[in-house]
Amino acid sequence: MSGARSFVRIWRWPLLLAALTCFGLLAALLGGGGLWWPLAWLALGIPLATIAFGVCGARRTKA
Amino acid sequence: MTRSGFRKWIWLHKWSSLICTAFLLVICLTGLPLIFQDEIGDYFDDALPYAAVPAGTPAVSIDSVVAASRAMFPKEAVLFVFVDDDEPKIVVTMAPSWQAWAANRKSSHWIRFDAHTGKVLKASKPFNQDGIRFLDVMLRLHRDLFADLPGELFLGTMGLLFVIAIVSGAIVYSPFMRRLDFATVRTDRSRRTRWLDLHNLLGVVTLAWLLVVGLTGVINELSTPLFALWQRTDVKAMLAPLQGAPVPSANELSSPQAALETAKAAAPDMVATSIIFPGSPFGSPYHYLIWTKGHDTLTSRLFSPILVNARDGTLTARVTMPWYLRALEVSRPLHFGDYGGLPLKIIWALLDLVTIVVLGSGLYLWLSRRALPFRRSGSESRIARSAIVTAPAE
Repeated sequence: MSGARSFVRIWRWPLLLAALTCFGLLAALLGGGGLWWPLAWLALGIPLATIAFGVCGARRTKA
Repeated sequence: MTRSGFRKWIWLHKWSSLICTAFLLVICLTGLPLIFQDEIGDYFDDALPYAAVPAGTPAVSIDSVVAASRAMFPKEAVLFVFVDDDEPKIVVTMAPSWQAWAANRKSSHWIRFDAHTGKVLKASKPFNQDGIRFLDVMLRLHRDLFADLPGELFLGTMGLLFVIAIVSGAIVYSPFMRRLDFATVRTDRSRRTRWLDLHNLLGVVTLAWLLVVGLTGVINELSTPLFALWQRTDVKAMLAPLQGAPVPSANELSSPQAALETAKAAAPDMVATSIIFPGSPFGSPYHYLIWTKGHDTLTSRLFSPILVNARDGTLTARVTMPWYLRALEVSRPLHFGDYGGLPLKIIWALLDLVTIVVLGSGLYLWLSRRALPFRRSGSESRIARSAIVTAPAE
C-alpha cells in the first residue's frame, strides 16, 4: 500500500470495464450477428471475470 | 472532494439505496427467471407439435384461421391475430367484446394454429382457468407488484432511486480507493472491511451495466403513460376526420388476409407480425391496425403500425412512431438481454446475481454500521479519515 492514488489511476480499470460493457451491449444490438455476438459475449464476460479474479484473490489472501 | 461534499454524497447514496433496496431485491429475484422466459415457456408448453411439411409450404390464409376461430366461439369477437415470423404458428386472441377486454384483460383467451395446416395446436381458457402461471406471477411482481399502473409508477420511482444510488456510489468510490489498488479485497481486517471492498469492487465493475439496465427499466415502467400519450395526440389526430362515422360491425369487415397483403405491399421492407381488429382501445374503431417490424436485431424491435380501412380494405396510412415510443422500444432489449443468444442471457443472469450481492452487501454495511467504532482497528479509521481528507476539492 503506497501513497494516494490519482483520479486516473483509481478510475482507469473501472472506465475500461465500463467501455467494454457498452461495446458489448451495442455490438450484439447493432452488429448484425455473425462475429459480433461472440465479441459481445467476450466484452461482457471480462467484467464478470474481473469479479471472479477479485473474489478468488481475496480467498487466497485469507488462506 | 471536500469533507462536507463527501458526506453529502454518502448521505445520498445511503438513503437512495435504503429506500429502494427491498424492492430492487424483489426485482432482481423475479427478473432472474424472466431472463429465460422463452426457454422456460417452451419447456413447459404442452401444445401439439407443428406438422412436418416440405420446405416452402405456404402459410394458410388468415381468413380461414379467423373463420375457424369464430366457428369455435360464435358469440365472441376476434381481438387480434399474431403471425409469428419465427415459428409456423398463428395465434388468434378472442374475448366476448373489446369492451369486455378493456374492463377485464383476463376475459380474453387464445387459439394457436399451425400456420401450414390450419390445425388447432392449443386453445387457452379465459379468466385464468388454465391456472396462474409461474412466469406471470414473476412478471407482475417484477413490473407492478400486482398493482397495475400505480405499481408500475412506484417501481419506476424505485428504479430512479436505484440509478441515483449507482451515480452517488460511483462518486464516493474515489475517496474510498485513495490508498487501495483496483480490485483489492482486504481479508486481514474486519468482516465489514471485506464486505465494503467487495461492495465497491462488484459495484464499480458492473457500473455501466447497472446504469443501462436501471435506466431502461425506468423507461419500461413508463410504457403505459407513453402509449396513452400517443393515443391521445397522434392517433386521435389521425382518426379525427372519421369522427362520428359508423363503426363497421363484424359482418361488415373486409378480409384480414387482404388487409395484411395491403400492408405488406405498402411496406415491402418490413415483416407484418400482428393484425389488431377494429375497436381496440389502442387502435382504431374503423381500421385494421397492422404492426410491422424490421429484419435486423435492432429494427426487429422497432414496430410501425399500418392502418387499413376495415370496411373497404384500402390503405389509410403508414404511421410514423414518435421519438418517445422509439426510445421505449430501444430500451426493451437493453433491459431484457434477449438479443444476443443464450450466452448473453447467461451473462445477464450472472450480472443480476452480482447485483443481488451488491444490494445485500450494501444493506449489511448499513446494518453493521453501529458496531463500527468498536470493531474498527486504529489504522483502518486512519485510512478512512485520510481517504476523506486527502480527497482533492472538486
